[in-house]
Amino acid sequence: MFLRIYQRIIKGLTIVLGLAMLAGTAHAQEGHPLKGSWIGEWSGNTALGDFVLVVMDWDGETVSGMINPGTDNLAIDSVDLDPSDWSVEIKAGDYTIDASIENLELPSRSLTGTWSSRNGRGDFEIVRQ
Amino acid sequence: MKQESKKNRLPTPVKLLAGMLAAFTFSTVFAHHPIQGKFDPGADVQFSGIVTKVDWRSPHVHVFMNVREGSSMVNWAVELENPYILINNGWQEDSLQPGDAVSVAGIRARNGSRQVWGEQVSLTDTGRPVYTVNDTSPAKPLSPRPVPRWPEDNHPVLGAVPGGADGIWGYPTSKALVEDGVNVGMNEYGLLDNVADAAKVAPMQDWALARYIHRQERDLRDDPTYLDCKPPGGPRQYQSDLGLQLIEDKQNQRIFVLLGSGNRNYRIIHMDGRDPVGLVGGDDDNPLFYGRSVGRWEGDTLVVDTEGFNEGFWFTNGGLPHTDRLSMVEKFTRKDFDTLHYEVTIDDPGAYTRPWTASWDLSWVGGAELPFSLCQHNRQ
Repeated sequence: MFLRIYQRIIKGLTIVLGLAMLAGTAHAQEGHPLKGSWIGEWSGNTALGDFVLVVMDWDGETVSGMINPGTDNLAIDSVDLDPSDWSVEIKAGDYTIDASIENLELPSRSLTGTWSSRNGRGDFEIVRQ
Repeated sequence: MKQESKKNRLPTPVKLLAGMLAAFTFSTVFAHHPIQGKFDPGADVQFSGIVTKVDWRSPHVHVFMNVREGSSMVNWAVELENPYILINNGWQEDSLQPGDAVSVAGIRARNGSRQVWGEQVSLTDTGRPVYTVNDTSPAKPLSPRPVPRWPEDNHPVLGAVPGGADGIWGYPTSKALVEDGVNVGMNEYGLLDNVADAAKVAPMQDWALARYIHRQERDLRDDPTYLDCKPPGGPRQYQSDLGLQLIEDKQNQRIFVLLGSGNRNYRIIHMDGRDPVGLVGGDDDNPLFYGRSVGRWEGDTLVVDTEGFNEGFWFTNGGLPHTDRLSMVEKFTRKDFDTLHYEVTIDDPGAYTRPWTASWDLSWVGGAELPFSLCQHNRQ
C-alpha cells in the first residue's frame, strides 16, 4: 500500500514539474496548428487523473504524439484534423477525444471538447503552451 | 554602410560615376506598415479639427486632434507613417503644431475607437497637404548602367560599390508572395481581393489553405510581425518597403543582409562552403527566423540554400503558412546597376504539395540609408 501511495506521489510530482516547466509564455507557432505541447484537464478521468499533458508533432503527412509523456506514456494512435471547421479526433489506446481548435491564431490556442473511454467520459480542454 | 577593404575597391572612375548617379537618384524608400489589421479600408472617414499634439515617434507618428461632434468636443488620433519616412519626404516634427486647423481623410479603426489611418492630411485654411509621402521608385537611366564587378573575381557587386556612394535595395515590384504565373487580385499587404482565389496563390496542403483563408478572412490582423515584432524571415524580407542592404564581407566569406527598420534585423549568408547547420547540435536545437544560409556563385547569380527555420513568424505578409520543414533556394541576379532580380523556390513538404517559385525585381536607391526604428508590440 505504501508503495502505491509512493508511486502516486511521484507521479503527481512528475506531472506538476512537467506542467511547471511548460507553464511559461506560449511560444507563437504559426505552422501546423496541432503541433506543440498542450496542457489542461480531462475532467473526471479517475484512471489517469484530471490533469493531462499532450505533445503532438507534424511530419507533413501525419500528426503523432504522446499523452502524459513520462508518466502514463499513452501513445497517440491517430489524429484526424478537419480544417473546414478545425475539429479534431484523437485516438490513443482506449481513449477517444473529440474536440475543436479555438482561438486558432493565438499562441495560446485551445482544444476543447470531450473525452471518452470504457472507464467513462467527460469534458476535455487543453491549451497550447 | 561602406565596405573598407582596400583590396576590394573598384577603380576610381567607377566610384565617381556611382557617386554622381547616386546623387541624381537619391530618393527614399517608404512604406505602410501592416495597417490592414487595425484599420478598415472600407470605413472611410473625414473630419476637421484642431491639432492638440504631434507624437513624433516610431513606428508611427500620431497627430491628436480636437474635433467637434454635435455639441461636444472629442479627441481623435490620426496615425501616419514612420518618422523616418516623413523626414525623407521633407517633413519635420513641427510641420504641424498644436493649434493648427487641419482636415483629415482616412480609414477608421476596426475597433470603433476614434483612431484613423490618415490617408490625407491638409491645412483647413489653405488646403495645403502635409505629411505626404512620395510613392514612386527612383527614375532609372534610359540606358541601363553596367553591373559593377569586383576586380579580383569579376563577380557582380551586390550592394553599394566599395568606396562609392551608399545605397539600398527597395521598391520591390511585388509586395506580396504569390507563385509565378498565378494571376490573382491582391493588395500590397497580401490581402486577396477575393478570398475564393486563395487556393491559386500557392499549392497548399488542406490545413495550410484553411489557415491561410482564416488569416485572410481576419484581414491579416494576426500577423506576428505587426503584433509582436517578429522578424520578416523567408522571402518576406525582400518585399519590405523599408529596403535592405547586401554587404559582401569577402575577407570572411559571408554576406550580410541588413533590413530596414524592424529593430535592425540582419541575416548572414555564409560563402565558405559550410553545411547549413548550427554550430552546436545542428538545426533542431535552434531553428531560426532567418534559417541558416549558405551561398555560392553560379555565373553571375548568387544561389543561396537556406533551411533551419522556426515556425514563429509569417514568411509572407499575406499569411501563407510554413513549417520547420521549409527550405528555400534563392537566386540573386544584379541585372544592371539599378536592378536586382530575386527568385525564391519554396520547398516545404509540411505545408505545400510541391515546390513552387516566385520572383520579382528590386530597385537601387542610390544615396539612401536604411531606416532605423524600434518596433513596438501592438497587442491590446
